[in-house]
Formats: sequence, C-alpha cells, structure tokens
Amino acid sequence: MNRGILSSRLLTFLFWIAMSALTLLPVWWMFLVSVRTRADLFGKPSFLLDLSAMTWENYAAVLSNPTFQKYMTNSLIVATSNAVLVSMLALLAAYAMSRFALAGKDNLFFWVLTNRMAPPAVFLLPLFLMFTGFRIGDWSLFDTRIGLILLYCVFNLPFAFWLLQGIVDAIPRELDEAAYVDGASTFTVLMTVIFPLARPGLAVTGILTWVFAWNEYLFASTLTSVDARTITTGLAEFVTVTGTNWGELAAVAMLTLAPAALVLALVQRHIVAGLTFGAVKG
Amino acid sequence: MSRVTLEAVGKSYGALTVLKPLDLDIADGEFLVLLGPSGCGKSTTMRMIAGLEAISTGTLRFDGRDVTQLHPRDRNVAMVFQNYALYPHMTVADNIGYPLKVARVAKADRQAQIEAAARKVDLTPYLSRYPRDLSGGQRQRVALARALVRSPGVFLLDEPLSNLDAKLRVAMRAEIKHLQRSLGVTMIYVTHDQIEAMTLADRVVLLNDGRIQQVGTPDEIYDNPENLFVAGFIGSPPMNFVEGAAADGTFAGPGVADLPCPGAGRLTLGFRAEDTTLSDSGRFSGTVYEVEPTGEATYIVLQMGPHRVNLRCDKRFRPDLGTTLRFDLGAGQALFFDTASGQRVG
Repeated sequence: MNRGILSSRLLTFLFWIAMSALTLLPVWWMFLVSVRTRADLFGKPSFLLDLSAMTWENYAAVLSNPTFQKYMTNSLIVATSNAVLVSMLALLAAYAMSRFALAGKDNLFFWVLTNRMAPPAVFLLPLFLMFTGFRIGDWSLFDTRIGLILLYCVFNLPFAFWLLQGIVDAIPRELDEAAYVDGASTFTVLMTVIFPLARPGLAVTGILTWVFAWNEYLFASTLTSVDARTITTGLAEFVTVTGTNWGELAAVAMLTLAPAALVLALVQRHIVAGLTFGAVKG
Repeated sequence: MSRVTLEAVGKSYGALTVLKPLDLDIADGEFLVLLGPSGCGKSTTMRMIAGLEAISTGTLRFDGRDVTQLHPRDRNVAMVFQNYALYPHMTVADNIGYPLKVARVAKADRQAQIEAAARKVDLTPYLSRYPRDLSGGQRQRVALARALVRSPGVFLLDEPLSNLDAKLRVAMRAEIKHLQRSLGVTMIYVTHDQIEAMTLADRVVLLNDGRIQQVGTPDEIYDNPENLFVAGFIGSPPMNFVEGAAADGTFAGPGVADLPCPGAGRLTLGFRAEDTTLSDSGRFSGTVYEVEPTGEATYIVLQMGPHRVNLRCDKRFRPDLGTTLRFDLGAGQALFFDTASGQRVG
C-alpha cells in the first residue's frame, strides 16, 4: 500500500474518531455524573471513570421513585400508541391516495404537508383552550394520555403520510391487480400485499414518530399537569428552587435516552432500507 | 371453463374513445389471441374482461351470465401479467397458493393443490425459493401456476413472454400451447408479436386504433387479409405492396404490367415473398437493391419503381446488386386492395 493511500485512510479514521467523540462525549459525561455521589461530583471533575468510587445510588433512587415510574410509563404508552396509530392511519391514507382516484388529491397532499410547516407553538394557546374546554362530564382532554396521543398524531401524520406515500407508490400496482384477480378484497390486498411490502417504510415511520413523541416537551409540559406527565417534562422537575440534583437528573437522562437508543439500534437496518425504498424499487 | 361474449363492449376516458364498441364470441376451450400494435386497445380489452378496467359501454357475459359490473375477484378469471406480478415477499409456494389462501381453502388441501400446480409447470424443486432467486422463465412458470391453481373459467395472459429472451420465448410458447390443449381451458392471450399469435391461436383478433380489423384463424388472416393493415401486419417479412392502377380487368404499376385483376381505379397489389418464383418470362421485374441471406433462404430486396419488395429465393442464390430480375406469382397469390380505403377488392 503506498504512503498516500495510507495517510488518507489515517486522516479519514481520525476524522471519524473525532466525530464520534463529539457525539458521544456528552453522553459519557452524563453517564459519569449519573454514577457519582454528590460529593465526588464537585470534587475533581474528570473524564475518566473511577470504578472504586462508582455508585448506582442515583439510579436506585430514580427507579424506586413512583413519580419517575409514572412518567416513564406515560412516555412509553404515549410514544408507542402514537407511533402505532400514526403508522396505521398514514398507511391507510397513503394507500387511498396512491391507488384511488380522489377529487383534488394533489391539492390535498400539498395542504396536509404545508399544515405541518407552521411552528407548533402557534397552536399552543388554542390547543390549551380546546383541551380544557372540551368536556364530557368531569373528563377533559387536559392532562390525559389520550389527549397527548391524539395531539401527537396531528403533528406526526403529515410527515408519516408523506413518507409512506412514496413507499406505497413504489409498490407496483400490478401486485394489487394480481391479488384482486386472485380473489382478494381491497382489505385483503392491503393486509397481505401492501402492508408486508411497506414494512421497511412503516418501521421508519414508526421509529421517527416514536422518537418525536418521546422527546416532545412543549405540549407535554403545557397540556399535562400531574397524571399524564411524560419523562421529558419530568427531567425539568429535578431543577428546583433549592438546587439541582445533578446525579439523579443525569440518571433520568440516561434512562430517557436508553429506550430511544435501543429502538434505533433494533430498526437501524429498516431505516436505511425504508429511506431508500423508492430509489431501489424505482 | 367459460364461453366469453362481448356485446358492443367499448371503453372511453371522458371524451376520448380508446376502444370502439366490439362484438366477440369466444368459445369454451378456445385459444384466442388479441393481436395489434402498441396502443391498439388489446390490453384494455383484456383488462375489461378481467374487471380491472370499468366497461364504458356494452355487456360482458361469461356463459351467458352478465358480469359487466362484477369485481375481478367474483369473475373466476386468472391472469398472467407482463411482468408476472409475483408477490416478492412470498415464496414460490405462497405465491402459487395465494388465491387458495384468499379463498380460505384448508391448509392440507392447499398444499396438495400447490404441489399439483407446481408439477404441471416443473416448479417442484423451487417451491421454497423467493421470486428474486428465480430466472425469468421460472418466474413466468410461477405466474402460470398461480393462474392454474384456481381452476378458473377464463385464463388471461397479457404479453406473458415479452420479458423473456428469444430462445426461452419459443420454448415457453410451446409450453403454454400444450398446457391450454391439455387442460382444455378458455385462454385469451394478448401480444403484439404476430409470430406468437400465429403459432398459438385457434383464432386471432387483429386490432388497430381501438377497432377490430379482422377476426379469423391464423391461416385465414394470413391468406385472406381483409385490408391493407392486416396484410401488412401479418407475416415476416411483411406482405409486399405495389401501388398502381387497374383498367379493363388488368393491373399495371411500376415493374408490373398486364396482371389480371378485379375492380378498377387506384389499387394496391399485395403479394408475399414466399409466393414469388424467379422466371425469365415473369410479369414482374425489378433491380436487386440488397441481398439478405438468412441461412434457410435468401431474401432479395428488389426495387420496383418507388417500392421495395422482398422475394424468398434459394438459400445459395446470390445475385449481383443492380441486376434486373424477373419473377412471377402463382394463381390466386396476387391480392388487390383499394388504395384509398385500404379494403380488399379481390
């Protein structure tokens, strides 16, 4: 191997090491904070892990905290329900738009997409009024998980619809037609042909909408108070007027990060396949 | 098995008529080929029979039953698509068994029928593979097996061989014909390849511009074309045409004189390359423009005034370019068409 190629490879390697460090060092720092005692934390800051002084007490405190448990459960329920609901609705909408002659379909598609372009904060006040004003007896959408799930659907659907539209369009129409001739109904075609073939796209849609709902802070902090509070809003509660419990805050942050990282790792392969689906099927 | 009847069946998209109302009666067990150039309406006709396109006018009947408004799944037809339309996420066995699964046939029955259909098209060793692991010919067989497994009333095949290479096409052609004969099913086959049409069909329907040009057996269409389009479309090389004029029962044109003919006025003479015989006393003459040996025969392209015509000659015959050749036709081998309307006059 000649010297030029070797040095170019070395440079590339160093570049990616630097990029990885840039991304991972804050996470590493957060982990260090989460496994140190309060006394150690302000003693001697270091990037190295001191195994003898390492402690899991912050994690133990957080995990045994009923409030944290509730926030975590809320987040999991809201994010997962939102991802499932959005993916399902978006697939149905994308299928209808792709296969059936609907009046004004191009305009509808444009309208749905442009709706998503408005800054979410614009809708905050009307949504607050709607969530508190719409009542059935004592029940209102305010501070309910169903309220958050429905709201996140509104914000995630246009994006999911746009993503799945391209994927359904790339599935050859002849497959639907072959299935119809083979005796299938529209629902059977959707379930046995379109759904399995759109799976990579659905995985992408699911994970991206899940992450959106998992990370969302603005609406969750405004439209919930006690019962439906999610973990992202819970994080802020460690910053109080009497001080900040950095150790527990970092432990919660690590625990918040874990499910998202896990889901991403599991479906990473599908994400690449999903995003390039149209291109390779072309 | 079904008898298929089209009564004034037509197709329009708004003001645009793509298929003029056509009448056609396809007998039970018949192999009918819809033939024509691209955009002639043959695939549209087939898709209307399958129920994939709405019928704009007229009535479609299977065994006398009106099926015009029926959904494709209720018509008991099977279709083989040009690009096979195999489900890429299913194995060969699942592809073949899909119509049975949709019809909720019990798993054991389904398996037996899948294996029987696979045996008919020699696919047994490939049942657990996916379509992406198969060659073009094997995919074609899967599509055929999927059609077979339903025991449909009507088989529809939309240019099923057009994606195969020439050698495989010939082999599959024979297999499809053999399959149709052995099963005795009604088969409607769309193609733009006239050789396929001639070799496969019991009857050929030749379409152009959304209109039927002629319906007949391959021999009828080849020997007795009803108009210039049919005469020019069928045959390889296509029929030779020489425009001229007829008067007093004889036809005269560039390189031809005193040819007995019916009718009068502007006529077009048509004759086939293989009906010509070189003869020094022949009534036709022209100069050699090009010589095309094919191995089994030599085709001479002859310049006759503004027209170029093909003669089929002995495989070793190699005349010099520019030589004048004379040739003649046997009795009944000269066909005459009205030049203006294109219709046959004799």
